[in-house]
Amino acid sequence: MSKNTTPPEGYEVQREQMLDFKVPEQLLKVLDEDGRSDAKNFILTTVDEVFNWARLSSIWPVTFGLACCAIEMMATSATRYDIDRFGAGAFRATPRQADLMIVSGTVTAKMATRLKLIYDQMPEPKWVIAMGSCAIGGGPYFKYGYHVVKGVDFLVPVDVYVPGCPPRPEVLLEGLMRLQDKIRGRKGKFVTPKWITDYAKKIPYRK
Amino acid sequence: MDQKEIYELLVEKLGAAALGFNDEGVEAYADVEPGRVAEACLFMRDDERLQFNQLMCLSGVDWDGFDENGKGKSVKILGYTDEGQPETSDHISEGDFGVVYSLYSHSQKHKFTLRVRTPRTTAAVPTVSGIWSTAAWHEREAWDLLGINFEGHEDLRRILLEEHWEGHPLRKDYQMPAQWDTVPLNGQAYSENPFPTPDKPAGDDPAEG
Amino acid sequence: MAIENIKTTNGWAEQDHVPGIKSELLELNMGPQHPATHGVLRLVLHTDGEIVYKVTPVLGYLHRCAEKIAEGVNYKQWVVYTDRFDYLSPMTCNHAYVTALEKVMGQEVPERAEHIRIVTAELSRIASHLIALATFGLDMGAWTPLLYCFREREVILDLLERISGGRMLYNYMVPGGVRYDIPKDNWTSDVLEFITMLENKKIDDYNNLLSFNKIFIERLSDVAVIDKQTAFDYGCTGPVLRGSGVKFDCRKDDPYSLYHKFDFEIPVGMGEMGTVGDCWDRYIVRVREIEQSCRIIRQALESLPEGPYQAIELKKPVKAPAGAAYSRVESSKGELGHYIISDGGQTAFRNKVRSPSFCNLQVVEKVGVGQMVSDLVALVGSLDIVLGEIDR
Repeated sequence: MSKNTTPPEGYEVQREQMLDFKVPEQLLKVLDEDGRSDAKNFILTTVDEVFNWARLSSIWPVTFGLACCAIEMMATSATRYDIDRFGAGAFRATPRQADLMIVSGTVTAKMATRLKLIYDQMPEPKWVIAMGSCAIGGGPYFKYGYHVVKGVDFLVPVDVYVPGCPPRPEVLLEGLMRLQDKIRGRKGKFVTPKWITDYAKKIPYRK
Repeated sequence: MDQKEIYELLVEKLGAAALGFNDEGVEAYADVEPGRVAEACLFMRDDERLQFNQLMCLSGVDWDGFDENGKGKSVKILGYTDEGQPETSDHISEGDFGVVYSLYSHSQKHKFTLRVRTPRTTAAVPTVSGIWSTAAWHEREAWDLLGINFEGHEDLRRILLEEHWEGHPLRKDYQMPAQWDTVPLNGQAYSENPFPTPDKPAGDDPAEG
Repeated sequence: MAIENIKTTNGWAEQDHVPGIKSELLELNMGPQHPATHGVLRLVLHTDGEIVYKVTPVLGYLHRCAEKIAEGVNYKQWVVYTDRFDYLSPMTCNHAYVTALEKVMGQEVPERAEHIRIVTAELSRIASHLIALATFGLDMGAWTPLLYCFREREVILDLLERISGGRMLYNYMVPGGVRYDIPKDNWTSDVLEFITMLENKKIDDYNNLLSFNKIFIERLSDVAVIDKQTAFDYGCTGPVLRGSGVKFDCRKDDPYSLYHKFDFEIPVGMGEMGTVGDCWDRYIVRVREIEQSCRIIRQALESLPEGPYQAIELKKPVKAPAGAAYSRVESSKGELGHYIISDGGQTAFRNKVRSPSFCNLQVVEKVGVGQMVSDLVALVGSLDIVLGEIDR
């Protein structure tokens, strides 16, 4: 054995200390007197919960790029951000194999019927993320956009709104995690953190 | 070649149909009678001295309400209100339509600008899509957005909007649609404050309600 | 197969090997939701299953009314919308618009601002070409180059974020200069470092990975040839025109900004792997343009002068005297022009945008005929279109 691969002195002791964690008392109750628990490992859950856990861990989005945000969606799935870490990296070319539609970009009047068709073709259960201010509410094309639908929620139900023009990949990942929370069935309302509300008050808003 | 010399060649060819030359502004341009613009373009492409083999740009213009004094008091276009409803106005457009041809020659390295004006009632200009194929789509766009009719165009359909869209959006009196074919195009008013003050301080995981 | 030999009558393809029996042409929709159409382009194909007899592009699925908005908002506000034309290289779009506007205004721009504009525009061009390589590889079935190209693109986006504050869409150039000066924290040396790395190592990576890959060459050589005359006729510009062997670049032949000061070459397609003007030529022109952009950036940064970076105070509204002008720049896709008519106010009376992809795409109607369906994907990929500026 060469010198480099030999563990340093006292290594074993340190490793033992690292692994020495406290077993919760609840768990201790189900253990035998000897500390073995072979016969008593069990999980109680509902079928729904298991299904939802599977769903949220492998969301398959449909390849549906509309505009600028689609490039950020690509960047999210590419090298640095890697949406695969959240199980949502399998972009499907057909809506029939997908369960998430990321509406990434401006929805125009001409595209609206096609968008609805693609949504209808997706199998249940299905979710929609409105990505970018155009998909949320028309964005910069609100005032003179004669051909722009002012928000995709006029057409299909939206689960998560991801703001930005375009949103950074981190924001899209955050939106994805919120969607996972929703699938998991967590209740309650998302409360905007205080630092965001404080910051928002400081931005000069011109009517 | 100088802009003035190009115009003189054009006058030689067209005679009285070359209506005038203006080089006071940033960019010189020549006015041509609308009926003979295709002839002028063919000449400018094929003439040995000119060789304008590229049509850089073809712009349709609605000259309605243009402020001739240069004070910036042109007619205002209509949009949506803050509540997302279409604005209305009783202004009815009257002015001419114009088409601007920006030409470039790869061999001679010179540019030229041709302008035509056609009255709103007829709004017709002969097509140049037979001369430069790229004009076909530019002309379809001008027909789509402004409603200028290019006579002799083989395939004059709408290019950007749907076939049965009502009106031509780039006209100055165009009123924004509230709806198109079951697709809502008006907005909705948001009365709620988008940033409500939280009743209690947010916890570690706010979604965990 | 020569197109002349194909006889079509009323949508029926006559097939010679079975005399008397005719088969109906299939009308096939490609898009608007299709992974190989680079957005929401829709192509209506008339095909017998393999050969395409007629291609009709259908546009407008991303028509965002930008030219109408130009008549409603003022000059400075509209810079935001120019970002969203070619969202792969927003800086060149900014540059095209402010150049046109300054031509109408008769506005001089400080030299430092011109240098910064050139550096950012060329960085943006590299980012756009990287996406072009990535998606073209993706269309041809190569997934790996996308990961490499996006890795370098993220570095460019970081650099541009440091100078402009935006990650992807910048709104950076303003009439009369740029919005912010170069940041103090070694931005220049970081750019130079990145350029050196790109030139020395990364471009070789792409070449080994994709450009000179035997499968890639076999797939693309002699496919969808655009000859010189067709390119001129259809108003093709940019890498599409240069791929056909025409040495034309607005930066050289119709100089704007300070490009005449810098030394660079115009790569053209030479038919190394087949015919001049085939898909591979159009592809390799982009790779070689990345190298030239690196050269320009290095020269611009090394000769960066001191001085002001804005000619007009940022908060002052911009007014243009009455007049009209057409001005064009070389964007990453080709010649991007603006025709601005001003009535003397703060808002344009008319602003027509001549976008390169709009003109380049039209050539599909001619060149796509007689190709196989799978080669049509190669053709559309090699044109490198962006729907944002086609539909505007």
